[in-house]
Amino acid sequence: MASNEDKPAVKEEENAGSWKDAIFNPRTGEFCGRTAKSWGLILLFYLVFYAFLAGMFVLTIWVMLMTLDDYVPRYRDRVPHPGLVIRPKELDMLINRSQPVQYTRYVQTLESFLQQYNDTEQERNEVCTAGDYFDQEGEVGEPKKACQFKRSSLSRCSGLSDSTFGFAEGRPCVLLKMNRIIGLKPRGEPYVNCTAKRDTPVQMQYFPSEGRFDKMYFPYYGNKLHERYVQPLVAVKLLLNKEDYNTELTIECRIEGSDLRNNDDRDKFLGRVTFRVTVVE
Amino acid sequence: KYPYRVTCFLSHFYIFCGLTNAKAAEYLIRDGPNCLTPPPTTPEWVKFCRQLFGGFSILLWTGAILCFLAYAIQAATEDEPAGDNLYLGIVLSVVVIVTGCFSYFQEAKSSKIMESFKNMVPQQALVIREGEKMTINAEEVVAGDLVEVKGGDRIPADLRVVSAHGCKVDNSSLTGESEPQSRSPDCTHDNPLETRNVAFFSTNCVEGTARGIVVCTGDRTVMGRIATLTSGLESGKTPIAKEIEHFIHLITGVAVFLGITFFILAVFLGYSWLEAVIFLIGIIVANVPEGLLATVTVCLTLTAKRMAKKNCLVKNLEAVETLGSTSTICSDKTGTLTQNRMTVAHMWFDNQIHEADTTEDQSGASFDKTSITWGALARVAALCNRAVFKAGQDQLPILKRDTAGDASESALLKCIELSCGSVKQIREKNKKVAEIPFNSTNKYQLSVHETEDPNDNRYLLVMKGAPERILDRCSTIIIQGKEQPMDEEMKESFQNAYMELGGLGERVLGFCHLLMPEDQYPKGFAFDCDDVNFTTENLCFVGLMSMIDPPRAAVPDAVGKCRSAGIKVIMVTGDHPITAKAIAKGVGIISEGNETVEDIASRLNIPVSQVNPRDAKACVIHGTDLKDLSQDQMDDILRNHTEIVFARTSPQQKLIIVEGCQRLVSHTDTHTLTHTHGAIVAVTGDGVNDSPALKKADIGVAMGISGSDVSKQAADMILLDDNFASIVTGVEEGRLIFDNLKKSIAYTLTSNIPEITPFLLFIIVNIPLPLGTITILCIDLGTDMVPAISLAYEAAESDIMKRQPRNPTRDKLVNERLISIAYGQIGMIQALGGFFSYFVILAENGFLPSILVGIRLNWDDRSCNDLEDSYGQQWTYEQRKIVEFTCHTAFFVSIVVVQWADVIICKTRRNSVFQQGMKNKILIFGLFEETALAAFLSYTPGMDVALRMFPLKPSWWFCAVPYSVLIFVYDEIRKLLIRRNPGGWVERETYY
Repeated sequence: MASNEDKPAVKEEENAGSWKDAIFNPRTGEFCGRTAKSWGLILLFYLVFYAFLAGMFVLTIWVMLMTLDDYVPRYRDRVPHPGLVIRPKELDMLINRSQPVQYTRYVQTLESFLQQYNDTEQERNEVCTAGDYFDQEGEVGEPKKACQFKRSSLSRCSGLSDSTFGFAEGRPCVLLKMNRIIGLKPRGEPYVNCTAKRDTPVQMQYFPSEGRFDKMYFPYYGNKLHERYVQPLVAVKLLLNKEDYNTELTIECRIEGSDLRNNDDRDKFLGRVTFRVTVVE
Repeated sequence: KYPYRVTCFLSHFYIFCGLTNAKAAEYLIRDGPNCLTPPPTTPEWVKFCRQLFGGFSILLWTGAILCFLAYAIQAATEDEPAGDNLYLGIVLSVVVIVTGCFSYFQEAKSSKIMESFKNMVPQQALVIREGEKMTINAEEVVAGDLVEVKGGDRIPADLRVVSAHGCKVDNSSLTGESEPQSRSPDCTHDNPLETRNVAFFSTNCVEGTARGIVVCTGDRTVMGRIATLTSGLESGKTPIAKEIEHFIHLITGVAVFLGITFFILAVFLGYSWLEAVIFLIGIIVANVPEGLLATVTVCLTLTAKRMAKKNCLVKNLEAVETLGSTSTICSDKTGTLTQNRMTVAHMWFDNQIHEADTTEDQSGASFDKTSITWGALARVAALCNRAVFKAGQDQLPILKRDTAGDASESALLKCIELSCGSVKQIREKNKKVAEIPFNSTNKYQLSVHETEDPNDNRYLLVMKGAPERILDRCSTIIIQGKEQPMDEEMKESFQNAYMELGGLGERVLGFCHLLMPEDQYPKGFAFDCDDVNFTTENLCFVGLMSMIDPPRAAVPDAVGKCRSAGIKVIMVTGDHPITAKAIAKGVGIISEGNETVEDIASRLNIPVSQVNPRDAKACVIHGTDLKDLSQDQMDDILRNHTEIVFARTSPQQKLIIVEGCQRLVSHTDTHTLTHTHGAIVAVTGDGVNDSPALKKADIGVAMGISGSDVSKQAADMILLDDNFASIVTGVEEGRLIFDNLKKSIAYTLTSNIPEITPFLLFIIVNIPLPLGTITILCIDLGTDMVPAISLAYEAAESDIMKRQPRNPTRDKLVNERLISIAYGQIGMIQALGGFFSYFVILAENGFLPSILVGIRLNWDDRSCNDLEDSYGQQWTYEQRKIVEFTCHTAFFVSIVVVQWADVIICKTRRNSVFQQGMKNKILIFGLFEETALAAFLSYTPGMDVALRMFPLKPSWWFCAVPYSVLIFVYDEIRKLLIRRNPGGWVERETYY
């Protein structure tokens, strides 16, 4: 019994020591309470253990990826309705007519955005029948054709005739596009309708006419099959007058005339978009 | 100095008249009421604050404050600050306050039970003032009052006895002596505790009457001084409090290390300083296990309740575990180890020692009752005996009945009543005609009776007293019913028996009788007891009877269990060494075959000084010797003897012994700089004299029935049935809860890693946040709770009463190995399980892992509403946030799934789950409960708005299952290796 009691006492003596010994104990060669060998073993263990875990993780991820379709995501129920976004990607636009430097960045954004809609580019795409869905049957993995959307169809907002998209004259163009969603086929005749939130209406001009998104641009087949696909655009030209200058205009655009949602409480960009424009002379 | 030597200048007049009422009133104002000042009770709000800010709560408070700080920084710098930190801060505060209230009310409940112990009936005292006897409230007694006490009274103050008639007092609550002491006006000793002429406040007068002058009242009494000594002592932290402190250090270390590392990383990655600070705080707070405080509190409460059912009432929740860590128990003798009731243990007649049954339930051995000698002995014992049963107890078992009279006479009364039937009838048949009561000069008591036989006109003289005195008066002895002359052989045989019984620590009485010859003492002879006119010599010796306060039945077994559990049991008593040693041997504190130095000396017939003290494992130390011992000698004794009895100890000495025991382990460390904990010492006791030791001990255990109020106040735990054996339950429960708390903490800590890593990866590789604050709280305060608590119900893996007590310096509640397992191994697997379901959900919705890295800036940008996924689809901010929150929900569900495996592996630390079984019903309930809760949170309509949790597709529940299986298999292999290679590398590195 007595010898039993002595043992722990001896152990404690080893454990005990000043704090310097706790970091490095020169007598036992212990660094932070472990010898080099002990450190080596534990580090090796963790190395092997984590390597195994990493392997297992990669394996499960790989198996999971194997089960996925290459062209269509498994679930699309989280994106049932498309969002509506504007170009330039700025919800607060301040346009100083007299200072081109100030609005050039908008112009540049629009210009580069419209590069893919250049007529030369688009002429390589199909000419589709307006007003009909462009359904394409075919084998799995067969590339799909895209309908052309020519930049010129945006006419005054195409940047072709007016390279400043109306910014210089104080009647700016804003491009609206609907988010791409695989397999989306809007019912009815979707068109964009913009209203200014004030008592007197603001004159606006839509391109293509009536701000329609033509059905021939639907459905979308995903970026792997539908490589040349371009979204249809709607340009809105705000026909502002002198009296509209220097005040902030809040404009809301909605997709109307179809089953696409535009009144979600939480998501303010679902089928609608609100932006503010201030034009300064 | 104690004014016990009141010189007798007092006139006779005073002794009859006492104080005047005016004087008494004056003294009362001067000295205050005659009662003990209650120890300064901690105000309720202080107790409440202690619960709110003690131990673990500090960690949570710090977390809450950091959260508010982070929110303040965000509010000051951002337009739309995320509310997460604010909510987290509020939740943390609520958790601390709720658990604080919970444990406060829990302890309040215990202290209410304590209150009920207090004797609410005010004590009365009979004082003589202005020559008139009056009964007043004991509180109004003042110094100088003349007080009269009689058998059954409680002494109202310290009295200097001025006259006494057969007065005996029971000092056991003060000194621990179980035998009543006689009181007389003579000053017999310098020490007030030893002298005969002082009766002490709050002791009991057992029999006789006495008149005394009050010398001290209230706190100035001996009792008051001990009580004051107690309240001056600081009791240290409980072992579990120390363990929790150590745990907090560890957890804070890990949190700060992680926080600082990722702060530096964040700065390198180009985050702004403020962002990095928010991350730092976030990481530190994420390390706080929010649910653990509640879990630990509930686990301790459950154990406390379980112990209360088994008659251990725990006053302080944290003390629940202390008995489990105890390595030494210093036990009082009287009342704790013994029944505190004199009982006839042995008899000597027919030249033979007979053993009487001393067990509480009369299950022990019996002896031959047919001998004529026994009949004679029983008759003497019944007749020469003034004790009677109190009225109205006929339905009670004989041993439970109350008696009026001296303790040893009561013992004889009960013994005879048990073996020969009604003593009352014997006495009625043998009418008493004369009696000489016991006095200290004669040392005998005699009475003369008529005989049972109406035709026999002789008188029967019966006598009992100190054996040697009785023997001197005898010329014959009765053997097998025949009178024989008392020869030398018989005398020697008597001496041997007397020595043997005395050596057992028993009080021996001799009995003799004489049928008086009719010619000398005819019927109607007038016996004169004052001037003895009859023979008291040449009697016939009948036999000896010896009495002891016998050990409780369950104690030897309990002591044995303590010993096999590696707990040293030391007896500390105020009683005589011989009695103490006898009881120690009886209950196994000195085990069979172990000898003291004195035993060896007498066996080898050599002087004590020649015996090598190392040969003796046992020792009995007298209080007066203790006084002369230096600290080193004391330590030496405690270290080198396994079986120790301290006798005749004073309250201060008890304190010294406890301190010595507490020093025991740490002694060898004194030359190093580190501060180590010593042995953990439990003290049991019931008397006021025990209370300083009770307070000083790591855990003081008081007796619920016989214990004095002072001792109960000083104690941390109360044995409601006064049974030492209940301590074993306490030890068992304490050890079990320590093991189970380890498991519970291992379980709870593990889920910390899957909770922190999402945030770390969010910072480092800019992926959408995989797990949000709300879901973390749902895990910590929701799904993890019941399984963590259920581990408190887990059965022990092996016989916990067969192993050594834990070493407080080495066996920590939470050690590096536990952290390594929980954080480094199981936690990591869990995190991978969570991440896997996160990647699955994102991939199945269109965001493949390859595009996720770095996507965070656009992902969290509210103005970016056309974020493109891997398939070319474009997402608005809200749409992808719903996916993100679905990921949070799935990550949360995955943690629940991997925690299934975790709770199952945490059931055992060494055994396989297959060996342990799944008998823990609460745990099975916990598994279902957490799953149901997770499903509820995910599928209840409205949760998407309330907690931002979304319904999961059924397949997503199974993502983490492979990882759950991996956890189970990995840990089973680990435990298999531990069992296969005891002391091997796996055990050294992973056995927590």
